[in-house]
Amino acid sequence: MDTLANVAHGFGVALTGINLLYCFIGVFIGTLVGVLPGIGPISAMSLLLPVTLSGTPESGIIMMAGIYYGSMYGGSTTSILVNIPGEAASVVTCIDGHQMAKQGRAGPALGISAFGSFIAGTFALVALMLVAPRLASIAIAFGPAEYFSLMVLGLVVLTFLTQGSMPKALLMACIGVVLGLIGLDSITAQPRLTFGRMELIDGIGLVPVVMGLFGVAEVLLNTEQAIKRDIINAKITQLLPNKEDWQASAGPVTRGTLLGFLLGILPGGGAVVASFASYALEKRLSKTPERFGHGAIEGVAGPESANNAAAGGAFIPLMTLGIPPNVVMALLLGAFVIHGLQPGPLLITQNPGLFWGIVASMYIGNVMLLILNLPMIGMWVQLLKLPYNILFPLIILFTILGVYCSSNNVFDVYVMIAFGIIGYFMRKLGYEPAPLVLAFVLGPMLENNLRKSLILSQGDLWTFVQRPISAACLALALVLLIAPLLPSLRKKRELVALDEGA
Amino acid sequence: MTNQTNVKLRLNNSELWGGLIGLALGGFVIWQGLKLKLGTINDPGSGYVLFYTGILMCVFATSIIVSAITEGGPTLASRWENVRWSKPLLVIACLTAFSFALEPLGFLLSSIPLMLLLLRLIDPVRWTLAIPIAVLVPTGMWWVLKRLLLIQLPSGLFGIG
Repeated sequence: MDTLANVAHGFGVALTGINLLYCFIGVFIGTLVGVLPGIGPISAMSLLLPVTLSGTPESGIIMMAGIYYGSMYGGSTTSILVNIPGEAASVVTCIDGHQMAKQGRAGPALGISAFGSFIAGTFALVALMLVAPRLASIAIAFGPAEYFSLMVLGLVVLTFLTQGSMPKALLMACIGVVLGLIGLDSITAQPRLTFGRMELIDGIGLVPVVMGLFGVAEVLLNTEQAIKRDIINAKITQLLPNKEDWQASAGPVTRGTLLGFLLGILPGGGAVVASFASYALEKRLSKTPERFGHGAIEGVAGPESANNAAAGGAFIPLMTLGIPPNVVMALLLGAFVIHGLQPGPLLITQNPGLFWGIVASMYIGNVMLLILNLPMIGMWVQLLKLPYNILFPLIILFTILGVYCSSNNVFDVYVMIAFGIIGYFMRKLGYEPAPLVLAFVLGPMLENNLRKSLILSQGDLWTFVQRPISAACLALALVLLIAPLLPSLRKKRELVALDEGA
Repeated sequence: MTNQTNVKLRLNNSELWGGLIGLALGGFVIWQGLKLKLGTINDPGSGYVLFYTGILMCVFATSIIVSAITEGGPTLASRWENVRWSKPLLVIACLTAFSFALEPLGFLLSSIPLMLLLLRLIDPVRWTLAIPIAVLVPTGMWWVLKRLLLIQLPSGLFGIG
């Protein structure tokens, strides 16, 4: 009953004119960046992070969330029609989606992808409504030791799932922690790694770091090769899947939704892992696995449902524990912090309008996305023809303006350019930026909780293993750290490894 | 066999250099941690987490170096094989020049040439299209930010913008 009252309150917040507008802008931009290869949700969210300053916290966060789940919808369009994933979570959709398009079945592929995404997104929201408040009430009992161990687990899971060698990902995570510690020590107020520069006293901003590593570096990487596009030019008709398509897709959509939601909740997991895992599951369960790769609708329905369910599930650790499970959620945490809010167990009770408003807006956003992605598919196809030699300079200009507007400080523009160049060389040498960014956000919290737990336990390191949740997180992290040493597990890791930058 | 040994021991190995940079950074972080004081385990100081993170960085960097020596790795040049390496280099040069010009020249006088250069250098856009875009987009953005959102962009020594 309480939940229903809260949901009604949430819809009251989400249905105000300004929040509807922000929600629409968010899902529209999300679909746009999902459709355009080269820029993903991370770049778009970092670009628009300063914009959230101008409105209320609800509006800003509703827009940012819209970009994230909107990009999951839009990404499939490019995968199916152009065979280039619009963003990393749609890589798998290329395999069977583009084959379907080549066979003249682009309509049903786009249709099942949109309907599957809608069903999964709706399920994830209902589950979020039911799970989040209960988890938040449990999380109130969490102490610094539990928080520290959970963050360690989150970082280890992300490094485990990052493409390339694990030591490289762990090195990136360590560098992220160090960068996050620049500025005044929160306990002793001693300046750290500031080198006498006043601009560094408050630390390095999240916006310039993320825009540099994901925005500028992405443009630099994309300029290396002329992007060729094999757009399906035939008119797209019959977007509604037929009875056989629905029968074949019902199982994959259900399984993809459940799997995606569970993987989304896990720290370090997310939409990319969920889509790969769903594809592997469907192929394994299929009686005719040989059809996969040649236009099997199950290969589109499962992964597309899974990535949307995961996008919804990923909000749970952020909203209830205050711990972002992936880079996108780290950016959303940045949006909360900009408005002086701290997501965590108390958010739901102290700011019910904000929490339930965001949840309700996600449902409204899902309906908007269904409308944006089916009847208006022709518009997105036209957009795929936008020349990149004009788009890339514009992205660079917008990142410069975005960074400057977030702080009114030219120094941040220098920081962004520096991180853009560093990010480019990092990617060229096989170092992924995702663990660095997550560690950058978690670093100060990680340090704070470690030092607090050591002070509270009077230096007793056993405190981390005597508390069951903390011990379980650390044990799991240890298993994941050791796993790549075993050849069979290393192979499995390589199969699910993700490229966050895409 | 000889060839394989040569591959493993060569210095022109991007993995090796990546690891060495990581090791140097780790050493620097350890030194900074020590400078800031570690404190005790009952009351960790400002350098405590930095110091141990530095140690972890050295461990991971060493692991990268060891694997680069034992398993070999691609050369630095091979990382830029079959790509238009000059394009990102040109964009980096433009961005570096822009960062030097932004404060003295202001937003408008530095971003218009930046846009024009990027439009002509990445995949040349014809002049008749590049010039209007390079002028109109930064000017439009400047107008929106200054007049509508009241955000002051750097105006430089000449006070333009």
